[in-house]
Formats: sequence, C-alpha cells, structure tokens
Amino acid sequence: MTAPPLLELRNLTVGYRAPVVADLSLSFGRGQFVALLGANGSGKTTLLRTISRHIKPLSGEALINGQNVNDIKPSALAKILSVVLTDRSSVPMLRALEFVALGRHPHSDFLGRLKDRDLHMVESALEAVRATDLADRFVDELSDGERQKIVLARALAQEPTLMLLDEPTAHLDLKHRLEILAILRGLCHSRELSVLAAVHDVESASKIADLALTIKKGKLAGFGQPEAILTPSAVRELYDCPQANFDSALGGLEIATDGQAGRAFVLAGTDKGALIFRLLAKHGYALSAGFFRPSDLDAHVALALGAKILTLESLNNETSANSDRLKQLFDEALLELDRCDLLAVAKGISSGEPNFPVAADLSERLVLEAQKRNLPIIKLGEANDLSPLIEFLGRLKAERSSQAA
Amino acid sequence: MEAVLNAKLYTRRLFNRRVVVFYLLLALTIFLMVVNLCVGSISYPIQEIFSALLNPSQAGDLSFIVWKIRLPRVLATVMGGAYLAASGLLLQVYFRNPIVGPFILGISSGATLLVSVVMLTSFGIRLTYVTPFLTTIAGCLGAYGVMILVVAIASKVRQGATLLIVGLMMGYLCGSATSILTALAEKEKIKGFVLWGMGSFSGFKWIEIWILLVLGGGLVLAIFLLAKPLNAFLLGEEYAASLGVNIRRFRLFILMAASALAGLVTSMAGPVAFIGLAVPHMARLSFGSSDNRVLVPGACLLGAVVTSLCDLIARMWLNPVELPISAITAFFGAPIVMGLLLKRGARM
Repeated sequence: MTAPPLLELRNLTVGYRAPVVADLSLSFGRGQFVALLGANGSGKTTLLRTISRHIKPLSGEALINGQNVNDIKPSALAKILSVVLTDRSSVPMLRALEFVALGRHPHSDFLGRLKDRDLHMVESALEAVRATDLADRFVDELSDGERQKIVLARALAQEPTLMLLDEPTAHLDLKHRLEILAILRGLCHSRELSVLAAVHDVESASKIADLALTIKKGKLAGFGQPEAILTPSAVRELYDCPQANFDSALGGLEIATDGQAGRAFVLAGTDKGALIFRLLAKHGYALSAGFFRPSDLDAHVALALGAKILTLESLNNETSANSDRLKQLFDEALLELDRCDLLAVAKGISSGEPNFPVAADLSERLVLEAQKRNLPIIKLGEANDLSPLIEFLGRLKAERSSQAA
Repeated sequence: MEAVLNAKLYTRRLFNRRVVVFYLLLALTIFLMVVNLCVGSISYPIQEIFSALLNPSQAGDLSFIVWKIRLPRVLATVMGGAYLAASGLLLQVYFRNPIVGPFILGISSGATLLVSVVMLTSFGIRLTYVTPFLTTIAGCLGAYGVMILVVAIASKVRQGATLLIVGLMMGYLCGSATSILTALAEKEKIKGFVLWGMGSFSGFKWIEIWILLVLGGGLVLAIFLLAKPLNAFLLGEEYAASLGVNIRRFRLFILMAASALAGLVTSMAGPVAFIGLAVPHMARLSFGSSDNRVLVPGACLLGAVVTSLCDLIARMWLNPVELPISAITAFFGAPIVMGLLLKRGARM
C-alpha cells in the first residue's frame, strides 16, 4: 500500500455562506512548491483558510496524510501544518528570536519552556531564512523584508510538512521577493516540505513553482506543471485581462498597447529591441518589428506586446527559393511601414550584423524606403541608451500639447 | 557576515537579565510595603510598629492602627495593583491594542452605576442596616452584571474590534444612567459618590482581604499557567488557532479572568484608574519583552509597586487630607509612560 498524498482535496467546496470555489479535487505529495494563482477575490485565501481549518468546508473534504483536517486534533495538526497569513500587524517588544520561538508552541511543554531541541530548531529556522543576524532585533523595528523572513522562520520552527502561505511576498521589493521565493523553493527540496502559496506574481510562480493551481470563476481552472498550465491564453483568461500578454518562454508579463499614439516600426533583432519595444508601448504605440530569427528574444517580447513581427525562418544563405520568400517578406514589411508613424533602428542593425547578413540587408533597404516616405527615423546608439528615442517622444508630446492648446 | 547563533546562550542571557529585574521589583514591593506600614498620619517608632505586628493580641491604639487600618490597606494596595495590572495585560494581549485597559469593557461603569443607585438614592439607606458592605456588594453586582453581558455577546461576535466597541458602548450606557442619577441626587450625597468614583484602598476589612487573596490569587495563578497560549495570542487569533490553541474557550477565559479581577478590585476599592492601562507598558519596557511568562508575574509586581507608591503619596502628600488614589496614579503615571515611550521612539 502506498502512503496517502500529503494534501488531498476531495470535491472540496469552500466559502463562507455561499460557495466561493466549488468542487476542488486534487492532490500532491511532499517536497513540492505549489503556486496558487487567481485574481483578487477568486477564493485563494478562502481555500487556504479551509485547509488550515479556520473555516469549515461547505462540502467535500481536505485530507492531510489521508486524514480529514477537521478530524485531526488542533494540537496535532499544528505539528504538521503551519501558516503564514497576510496579517501585517506587529508585536511590540519581542525579539526576533523570541518571535520565532513562538513557532515551537505545539512542541514545547505546558509552560512553553524551550528545550535544547527547540532552541536548535529555532536556530536552524533562522539560518534557513538567512536571518541569524536579526535574532537580537525587535520585530517591530524590522523592515518589511526582514520581518517577512522572521515570519517565515516562525512558521518553519513549527517543523511543518505542509506550509500554507497567503501572499508571502506582497509588499516586498524585487530583491526580497525573489529571496523569499528562492528560500521557500530551497526548503521544499531540502526539507521535503511542501508549500502551498497564494501568489500574485505569475512571473515568479512560473519560474519557481513545481506545480501551479489556478482558480477562475469559482472553479479549478488548472492544476499541474506551470509549463503546461500557464500558457499565454490561460494567464490572460485567469486575470480577465486581455492586454496582459504572458510569455511562457520568458516567463514575463507584458502589457499590450492599444496604439492610440500611432504605430512604430522597430528594426531590432539579436536581443537589442526589448527596451525599445517597451518604451514605445508605454507611450501608446502599436508595434511592427523585424527582422528576427524565430528564436530571437526580441521576437518573444514584441509578440507579448502585441506587435506584428516579421521573422525569417532559416534564410541565412541566399538560394533562389529563398529570394522569393525574401521579396515577399520585404513587401509585407513595406505594407507595415505604410501604416507607421516612425521608424526606430537599434544599434548595429542597419550597419550590418555579421552573423545575420540577410536581416541587415533587409533593414538597410527598409531605412531607405522610410527616407523616401519622409518618416521620422530614430537611430539608437549604444546597447541600452534610449536617449534619442526618449528625446524624440518627449518633443512629440510637447508639440502635441502645444497644438492642443 | 553570517554570525553563528547560539540560541541557548542567547535565551539564557535574556532570562538572567529578566530575573534580575524581577528580583529588583520584588525587593521594591517589600520595601514599599514596609514603608506604607510605618508611615501614617500618626508616627510611631519602627520597633514599636514591628512589635505590634508580631503580637497581634496586644491591646492598645498602635495594635489597632497596625492590624485594623495599615496592614489591611497595605495588602489591599499590593493585591489591587497587581490584579489591575494583570487584568490590563490580558486585555491588551487579547485585543492586540496598547490603549486598552481593564475598564474598556465597561466593568467600572457597571460598578459605578449600581454604587450610584445605593449611594445617591434613598433606596440604599434602608439597606445600610442590612449589611456594612453595601457599596461593595453593589459594585460587585454591577461589575459582574456587565461582565456577563459582554461575555455573552463575545460568544456571538467573532471580531475583537466589535467586542471593543460593544464594551465601550456599554460603558456609555451605564455612564448616562449614572449621570441621570447624579443630576437628581441631593448635593450632600454627591461628594461621597464622586470620591468613591476616584478609588481608595482605605477601610478594607479582613474578610475582604481574604476574598481578594483567595479569588484573585487563584485567577492570577491560572493566568500564569496559561501564559503559553497567551503568548500564541500575541500573533493574533488566527495564528494562535494554527498553533493549536482552542480559540473559543481561551477567548472566554481571557475575558472572564480579566473582568473578574478588575471587578473584584473595583467593587472593593472603586475604579482605580490608570494602573491597568499603564503598568503593562511599564512592565514590557522594563523587562524588554512581551513574553507573557515573564510579564504576568512581572506586571503583577510592578502593579503592586506603582500602586503602593501612589497610595503612599495619596496618604502623605497633603496629610492629613487624603487624596483619591486615581488622582495620584494618573498625575505621576502619565508622564512616566509618555517618557518611556518617547525614549523607545514611540513604537508601542
């Protein structure tokens, strides 16, 4: 007989009076980082609170190690399961070490005295979150990021096999967000601990989680490996956000534009374009872009931003079959150019890219065409120097507002 | 940069520091008890006071003063201060709110209302012949009546903040009824009632001392034994539940223990302001911790120290006029609390 899964949900319906999420059935074992994704109000917290038995399920059951959580004694459950809530209120006059030691509650004796083993677990929890240097500090004097580490250490000191976390990285800056998630993933793998974490950040979830669980419209939308679950269309639907374009290859979320400012053609390629695309998109330009190999990172970013892109499959050497295809591609590019209000050229593109001569040739010809059409052409300098484009957009904005006045 | 942490050494150091503070407070309590016993409107040599204390059967004025007046007052002051502090501490932990005191749930207003009924109306005059403890009994009924109402409501509402507001409203309700009675009362009666409302530890009978000792002592012991789940409450109810604490049962215990202690003291000494609100802060600051295993005994001792000191000042400052204790507790206590808080960067 195989051991029961660590957490199993059987037709679980959760909610306060009316169901919020209905009929959840799934299970996972130890050592998994499970990201729980869904829009605000989709029921992530309600689900977590049901599993931690803070609220009763409306129907169905949640089982931990094959046992219904509501049949497990609270003191026994506390040795298996620990939680990290969104509650941010602090405790005055308590040192971080004492705060973490509160996690030993289910293991310590009647008066809460700390034995050697308890102290050892506190030490190791602080080490695990890389916060031993905070032990002596008062928790109400810590920064948000430091505090979150201590909160995590407290949950760890409980020696759980399953941790439920409600938005553990909300309010944190990028550095701390990544650090906390990395710590959690590390713990999953080193301590055979499973984590079920409600997260907002699809990007990090897709990169860090072993499994993703998505909730949409009161139902389980998907459960499985993030690579399979978090497809661009699934993410767009999950958050009801048609502008958000999730790129599963990059794990990045881009916001497509409506093109109210016009359309810009960008000559980029070999990873030089991402910043140019984003800047133009931010200023409300719809994008046309070329000429890429399909594997180019620029192509991914441009697509995620909703751009019309022109790619050359494997057209590196000029054969007669290819020349037809090249002509067709250039015609397409001209059609795009006719719709555009400006042309931006990334550094090195028009002067010829040694390992991709075809694209350089096409680009050069397109610049000439743009000159014929009297389009503004902005040539960009060193890799990340966007100043010519920024200046141009600024000038344009000023002109427009003076016209409006 | 990663320092090696020795949690064992660290916790022992914290513990030792706290033990020192604890013994200091204990010594201070005993010292103040002796001073309060020896100092009074009539002064006697210390040796005579001790000999009177050691020979209770001795006849004479001094024996009467020591055994019937000063000693009961010293004991009542120490216990009253300790219990008010413990009560305030419990409620501050439960509501996770530093400006909460033992009277936040309307305990003192309930007591005051019923005391006003017996002191301000003619209803009380007839009963005076029945029992000398009339105001005490009235205060007790008022305090526990409100407590029962609040606890009954607490079992219905989930949120601490709601309960806090219910308690406050209860206080206003009783207060308005008291105001009406005061407006209708005869002038002469009002002064006595107002003075009762500011609290005093004078005139305690031995029977009251025993009741204080047994009931209050039992409650404080129970609170100390439950300091571990109380610590879990520092994190809030939901975390406490996740640590395996039975929230419903424990919440009732906290509310009942806190109200019972405050009601016990209030019915006998009147509403003594400020101690229950301020002493838990002072204790947290002087022990440098919110750990309730330290704070429950610590706040009790500090409550005894502060109240004894205030009672000494109340008796001796304008001797032979005795001031109400609430006047002293707030007058000297408020600046101290502000000073301590500002020193710590106002972070409570």
